[in-house]
Amino acid sequence: MERGYWIRSKPVYTSLVWHEKATSHLVLTQDDGGMALLKLFQLKHPKQAINVLYANNPSSKVNYAKTLEKVVPEGLQIFNTEQEVLCAFNDVLPTMFMGLRLYVAGSESFIWSVSECAKAHGIEDADIMKELTGTLARTVYCVHCKAITHDITTNIGKCCGCGRMLFVRDHFSRRLGAYMGLMVDAESPGVLPEIEEIYP
Amino acid sequence: MSTIDVKVAAIEQVTTLVKHFTFVKEDGSVLPAFSGGSHVVISLSIGGRVHRNPYSLMGSPEDTSAYHISVRRQERSRGGSVYMHDNVTVGMQFKITYPVNLFSLAKKARKHILIAGGIGITPFMSQIADLERLGADYELHYAFRAPEHGAFAEKLNKTCGNRLHCYIDSVGERLDLSVLLGNQPLGTHVYVCGPNAMVVSVLEVARNFGWPENHVHIEQFLAPPIGEPFKIQLARSNKEIQVPADMSMLEAIEAAGVEADFLCRGGACGRCELQVLETDGALLHHDHFLTDAEKASCKKIMPCVSRAKCERLLLDI
Ligand code: FES
Repeated sequence: MERGYWIRSKPVYTSLVWHEKATSHLVLTQDDGGMALLKLFQLKHPKQAINVLYANNPSSKVNYAKTLEKVVPEGLQIFNTEQEVLCAFNDVLPTMFMGLRLYVAGSESFIWSVSECAKAHGIEDADIMKELTGTLARTVYCVHCKAITHDITTNIGKCCGCGRMLFVRDHFSRRLGAYMGLMVDAESPGVLPEIEEIYP
Repeated sequence: MSTIDVKVAAIEQVTTLVKHFTFVKEDGSVLPAFSGGSHVVISLSIGGRVHRNPYSLMGSPEDTSAYHISVRRQERSRGGSVYMHDNVTVGMQFKITYPVNLFSLAKKARKHILIAGGIGITPFMSQIADLERLGADYELHYAFRAPEHGAFAEKLNKTCGNRLHCYIDSVGERLDLSVLLGNQPLGTHVYVCGPNAMVVSVLEVARNFGWPENHVHIEQFLAPPIGEPFKIQLARSNKEIQVPADMSMLEAIEAAGVEADFLCRGGACGRCELQVLETDGALLHHDHFLTDAEKASCKKIMPCVSRAKCERLLLDI
């Protein structure tokens, strides 16, 4: 782990809170992001219109969809997959106006997929409020073969493309929504440091 | 700071208060390239004193054979604009800085809303050339006092067609910012250059509608205010100098032969920032750059526009 200094590209996630100044609000959430959404609706609701797109995971332990239907006054749409949420998002974006505030809660890859869609409509990721929920598992891109491996929970992971053992760094590509992975045993092949779970 | 030698190739009276100057290189070669929204600082020596005034380049960035600026005559000012109007003639030679852009167009914007008040139209002239060339989506909202003051309305009408919206104060036409900023498509950026009241309202309306700060761009160069004379001490160059009432600290530092950094000379860019090492009085901050907390801390000052009320002000230069 790199300690003692801050990698600038490493994203910062916060807890969702409503923006006071806005013309409307759109919240995108997935799976465990349901909890962030429930917390958000515990706060005083803003005056402006609110729309919520939620990707439900039927196999997850808690059924947030049911609770959300009770808690969210209107504008809630529940989908079965992340992909459907992103499609719905892409469809509404062209009809939206400046003053729309965007909120996203879910896995890291979901957050950055949303950010990529928004970017195509001139919204920078800094203008999206982001809450990371559920897992710290990292998506890693291999700097050697460019393959992207999902759900790595350890400091060192195997590249799904070239099979190299990659050290997972804090350098983050917003475009790819992935952390940089560098071959760990280049100097002395086969000699690996201890592999630990640090992104549960 | 390196400069370019230019001479005045043409002067045109655009309105009763606005003159347009064309500069070319003395040796006839092309001038450095620039992008829409850039400005240059021109050195004028008036009564034995050097004035350095920033002006927006208003020609098309595609044409580097000449630079174009427009100057509004400001009667109650320190004399730079009056000198430009009354004393500058074709053929005169000047030194100008290389163009710097502190008001550039946002490349990723889906739409651009340009808002100009009076002479604040100048930086938009070059931006419009860029927007037209890129085929970008934009609207220009141009407010001025009376028909005879719409310096470039006719020319703009030809270039912009129905993207141009004029608001003439004397016939009661007003720009309604709530309507304008209340329903713009996502990804729109707004740019404003004009009188302070206009800039402040744009900032406020945009903020109230929840526009992210980085979608709102302002160009507001202040003229250095006239004030009381005061004394400053320069630590590194080991000098004590007097700042006269009608000179800025930056000008006084330059006049003493000390080289200082600057870009806008109008309290907007932050380039001239100096560290305050010691003072026995009050700093009079006039810039738009420092935060309120920084101003209150008395540790930094922008010598291009700010002044002080003191006997001792030790600066790290
Ligand atoms: S030169 Fe830009 S703030 Fe002083």
